[in-house]
Amino acid sequence: METAQKIIENISENKIHQHYISISNLNVSFGSQHILKNISLNFQKNKVNCIVGPSGGGKSTLLRSINRINNDDYNLIINGSILFNNEEILIKNKDLTKLRKEIGMVFQSPCVFPKSIKENVLFGIENHSKLSQAEKDSIVEENLKAASLWDEVSTRLNESAKSLSIGQQQRLCIARTLAVKPKILLMDEPTSSLDPISTEAIEVLMNRLKAEYTIILVTHNISQAKRIADELYFICEGELIESGSKDVLFSNPKKEQTRTYLFNGTCNC
Amino acid sequence: MDRKLKNSIFKMLIWAAACVAIGILVFLITVLFYKGFQSISVDFLISESKNFGSEGGVFYQIIGSVLLTLCAAIISFPLSLGFAIYKSEYVKNKYLQNFTDTIIYSLNGIPSIIFGIFGLILFVNFFNTGVSWFVGGIILAIMILPTVILSSYQSINSIPNSYRENALSLGLTKWQVIKTVIFPRAISGGFTGLLLGLARAIGETAPIMFIATAFSGVTFPNGLFEPVSSLPTHILSLAQQATNPDALENAWGSSLVLILLVFSFSISAFVRRLQYSKLKY
Ligand SMILES: Nc1ncnc2c1ncn2[C@@H]1O[C@H](COP(=O)(O)OP(=O)(O)OP(=O)(O)O)[C@@H](O)[C@H]1O
Ligand SMILES: [Mg+2]
Repeated sequence: METAQKIIENISENKIHQHYISISNLNVSFGSQHILKNISLNFQKNKVNCIVGPSGGGKSTLLRSINRINNDDYNLIINGSILFNNEEILIKNKDLTKLRKEIGMVFQSPCVFPKSIKENVLFGIENHSKLSQAEKDSIVEENLKAASLWDEVSTRLNESAKSLSIGQQQRLCIARTLAVKPKILLMDEPTSSLDPISTEAIEVLMNRLKAEYTIILVTHNISQAKRIADELYFICEGELIESGSKDVLFSNPKKEQTRTYLFNGTCNC
Repeated sequence: MDRKLKNSIFKMLIWAAACVAIGILVFLITVLFYKGFQSISVDFLISESKNFGSEGGVFYQIIGSVLLTLCAAIISFPLSLGFAIYKSEYVKNKYLQNFTDTIIYSLNGIPSIIFGIFGLILFVNFFNTGVSWFVGGIILAIMILPTVILSSYQSINSIPNSYRENALSLGLTKWQVIKTVIFPRAISGGFTGLLLGLARAIGETAPIMFIATAFSGVTFPNGLFEPVSSLPTHILSLAQQATNPDALENAWGSSLVLILLVFSFSISAFVRRLQYSKLKY
C-alpha cells in the first residue's frame, strides 16, 4: 500500500519534472523558408538541457520561440505546441511580458545598457516593481553574487558597465536576468564570444544555477556540452535527430549522425 | 598618364574647389562682420526701429524672430519624435516604410515660398486667422519637420536591435522599451536636428512674409493671432530702401545680428554632434 502511494507520487512528480517545457510538433518558418520541422521534445526541470548541432540548424530559432522573442518578426509562421508548466505558450493572446519574466534569456554577445553596473542589474526588475533604495541595494548584491561577479565589481557599482571586460559583461547580463526571478534560463551560446577563463567561470556558474533554475543552453562547443550538459538534444537542418541523457548520447547513441557529430564535429544529415 | 600624376591632379582640383568654397564663405563673413560691427551697438539691439527701419534698432525684430523659432521648435519637436519613433518601432511593412520616406524627402524638397503660400491660403484666408506669428510658427515647424524627423530617426535606427531584444527578454513591454531605450536616443538625435532646422528657420523670409510679419509699427504681440516683425523680413524691407545710406547701414547691422543667431544654432548643433559621436551604443 505504502509503496503504491510512493509510486504514484513519483509518477506525478516525474511528470511535472519531465514535462516542465514540453514541445510537440513545432514547425517554424520564415516566409517560405521552413526552419524547424516537427520538433517534439521535453526539457527537464533543474537540469542543464543542452542543444547542439551544426550552424544554421535552427537552434536559436527554437530557443527564441520559447520566450517568443521572435514574436515581432512579421514573416514568422509558427505552429505546434509549447507547454510550459502545462500552459500553452503559443496562444495568440499570451501575456508575453509575464512569459518573459518567467523565461529569461541570455544572448550570444553581452549587451549592457549605457548605464552604471548597478543600473544594469536593476534594469528589468525596476520596470516591474517599485523598489526602495534598500531593496535595490540588496537585489544588486544578491544577483551579482549569484552571477559570481560581486567580488570583482562590489567597489565600483556606479561605474559604467561598458568598462567591464566582455566576460564580466556577460555575467552582468546573467545577473540582470536573474534579478527578474525567472524559472527558466535560455542561453544562446553564452560563452562563444568569451575567452577560456571567462567561459569556465560561466560554466561553473551554470552548474551552480541549475539547482534553482532550469537551463536550456545552446552551444556549438561539443566539449562544453560534454562538461556541463545533463540532457542533450541534437538538432540538424531543422530536425531533432536524437535526444537523451548526455551519458547515453556520448557513449551509445542510437543514430549514426549523432555519433559522427559528437565525435568528429561534422554532420552528415 | 601614370597614376601618380592623375592622383596629384585630382588632389589639386579638390583643394582648389575647397579653397573657392571656403574663400567665398570667409569673404562674405568678413564683409558682413566689418560692415555689421560698424553699425551695431547695444542701443541698436535694445531700441525699436523708427522711420521704416532706417533709424533706431531691431529690438522687436529680434523678439519676433525668437518668438517664431521658439514656436516652431515647440511644435515640431514632439511631432518629429513621435513620427520618428512610429517609423522605426511600429512600421514593419516595407511599402509603408518607403511611403513615409517619400513623404519626408518630398517635404524637405518643397521650396519655402510654397509653405508661405500654403499658410496664406489655409490659415490666413480659409481659417481667417489674419497675419499671425503663431501661424508663422506652425508653418516654420512644418518646414523643419523633415530635418528633425530624419536626425531623430537616424539616431534611433542606429540602436542595435540587440538592445531592444535584451530589454524585451527582461519582460519589458514595448512601451517600456521605447521609454527606457529608444526615447533618450530619439531626444538627443532630434535635438541636434532641431538646432539645424532652427538655424534654417530663423533665416527664412519667404514662408513668413505673407502670414506672420508686418514691416513696421509692430511691438509685442498681444495674442496668438497678431503679427510680429522679424529680422529677415526687416532686412528685406531695408534692402528695398537701398538708396538711403542710413537704411543700408541698418541692413548690415540686422544681417550681422541674424547671422550671429544662425551661428549660435549651428554651432550648438555641431558641438552636440561631436559629443554624441563619442558616446556610442
Ligand atoms: N528572422 C529571420 N528571418 C529569416 N530567416 C531567419 C531568421 N532567423 C533565422 N533565420 C534562418 O533560419 C535558419 C536557422 O537559423 P538559426 O539562427 O536558428 O540557426 P542556429 O542553429 O542557431 O545557427 P548558429 O549555430 O549559427 O547560431 C538560418 O538559415 C537562418 O538564415
Ligand atoms: Mg544560433
